[in-house]
Amino acid sequence: MALRDVSVLFRTPWIIITRALSFIVQVFVFANLISGLIHIQGINYFEYYAVGSVVTTIASISFVIGYDIFEEAEEGVLDYLLTLPISRRQLIIGRALGGAMRAIVYTIPMFVIVAVFWGFSQPLPILTALLSLFLLAFGVTGMSITVAVSVKNANRFDVVLALLELAVSRASTALYPIGFIPVYVAVFAPFSPVSFAADSAYSSLVMLTLDLPAIAGLVAFVVIFLGLGATFYFRRLEGGVYA
Amino acid sequence: MITFERTGKRFGNLDAVKDFSITIKDGEILGLLGPNGAGKTTLMLMMGTVYRPTSGTITVNGFDVVKHPNEVRRLIGIAFQDPRVDGILSGFEVLNWHLKMTTTSDKDERRRKVEDVLKTLDLWDARKKRTWLMSGGMKKKIEDAKILVQRPSIAVFDEPTAFLDVPSRLLVWKMIRQLRDEGSTVIVATNMMDEAERLSDRVAIVNKGKLVASETPEQLKGTVKGGEVLELTLNDGSEFRPDMLTKFPEVHDVKKQNNKIMVFLNSGTLLLPKIVDTLSIQGFKIESVRLKEVSLEDVFLTYTGQQLE
Repeated sequence: MALRDVSVLFRTPWIIITRALSFIVQVFVFANLISGLIHIQGINYFEYYAVGSVVTTIASISFVIGYDIFEEAEEGVLDYLLTLPISRRQLIIGRALGGAMRAIVYTIPMFVIVAVFWGFSQPLPILTALLSLFLLAFGVTGMSITVAVSVKNANRFDVVLALLELAVSRASTALYPIGFIPVYVAVFAPFSPVSFAADSAYSSLVMLTLDLPAIAGLVAFVVIFLGLGATFYFRRLEGGVYA
Repeated sequence: MITFERTGKRFGNLDAVKDFSITIKDGEILGLLGPNGAGKTTLMLMMGTVYRPTSGTITVNGFDVVKHPNEVRRLIGIAFQDPRVDGILSGFEVLNWHLKMTTTSDKDERRRKVEDVLKTLDLWDARKKRTWLMSGGMKKKIEDAKILVQRPSIAVFDEPTAFLDVPSRLLVWKMIRQLRDEGSTVIVATNMMDEAERLSDRVAIVNKGKLVASETPEQLKGTVKGGEVLELTLNDGSEFRPDMLTKFPEVHDVKKQNNKIMVFLNSGTLLLPKIVDTLSIQGFKIESVRLKEVSLEDVFLTYTGQQLE
């Protein structure tokens, strides 16, 4: 089931290519230019922005599984999936895992570009960063599935998911250090899962330290939203429209 | 064996299926015949564990669909009315993935099975075409092919030949019969009389979520009194009353739908001139007359009071 979601990605390789090109332009033109204007003590903003961009990209891609599931329910493909000889639990975990794996595969070219350009070569920090990215992706797919199966109106679903994506990614410390974020956003930003992932990835890759609170935050985020996603999915399948 | 025992399904205030009881024997083709909205698809989706019944029970080979859904899913394959395929995948990929999910076949075996079924359905040349680029008929054949390639113990087809041309319809019917001959139990939901009549070992007439009758096509036809049907079309049937014709002892029943009068009778050839005279004297203008043997369509009309097609 998870491989199905990943294989669909490879049917449209141009999406990966165009997004990677867009990422290159964003980082090496915009971030490069803006980092020349900004000087933050102790931080290379160009590098900070590049790592943060990988994190926000994976969050953004992880939301896509929600659109897929909503579309599948509307087009009846979900009915078909429900007749297959797999348990509901396998189906739900498979979908979330598939969404997360797809996001990881999608983001790997960007991660490699950043790692090569800034010379991140130590295996353990790279693995820690990838683990943080995967946890973020897994949690976001759970969140996305929760929204997809709890909002029934298509327009409302689009708006809710877009706002959620905006809130999670933009109200975070992924692209801007906390000290430079307006107070009304800075109150929430440290608790964003994207902040957890960005802080963890930046700590491991750049500072070569393990940000355990950030990783713990990510694990909690995964548990909460995968649990919620599964509960709502079950409710929709067994007690709601599919009862 | 599949058993529906007083099964019901309620959506809000609507009873999509109500008090539905039937036993489907192993190795038979059961035609579920009913108009759109009769509850056929709901019945199949409950059996396939997609919907939960709100009352009663359904057991599939002894497994209750609510208590043992995973066991039931291993036995059943459903071809949906509207093709449920990932548009981005090709026909070959759709079938290969379906087999991967539903059987233990290895890669080579899957390839051979998919190739066989695609060649039989004349889709081999289009095997690499993405399904969203396929015509309605091709997509429908891919949907049917999922079950024809899977060969489950219980095969369910919802309107299997909708969108198909005549040669394709005959081919799909033949393949469904082969599936039955190999031991599968087959359930075919349809609103096409000829499909139900030509394909089914037994026909269950479903109307407004209820089982109306269930027999072999021949037995069902035998339940209609008279054995012949006289179809009359009047230019204006508003003044027509059934008792104008039921006075003849050979007439068993009369049904009226707008200007169309269906007279269930015997000795139709002898009685026809008398009926025509009677109606002409009453001032009716007869636009057409047709005397025929009882068909499944007449059976449906007799049981439900409405025409299907």
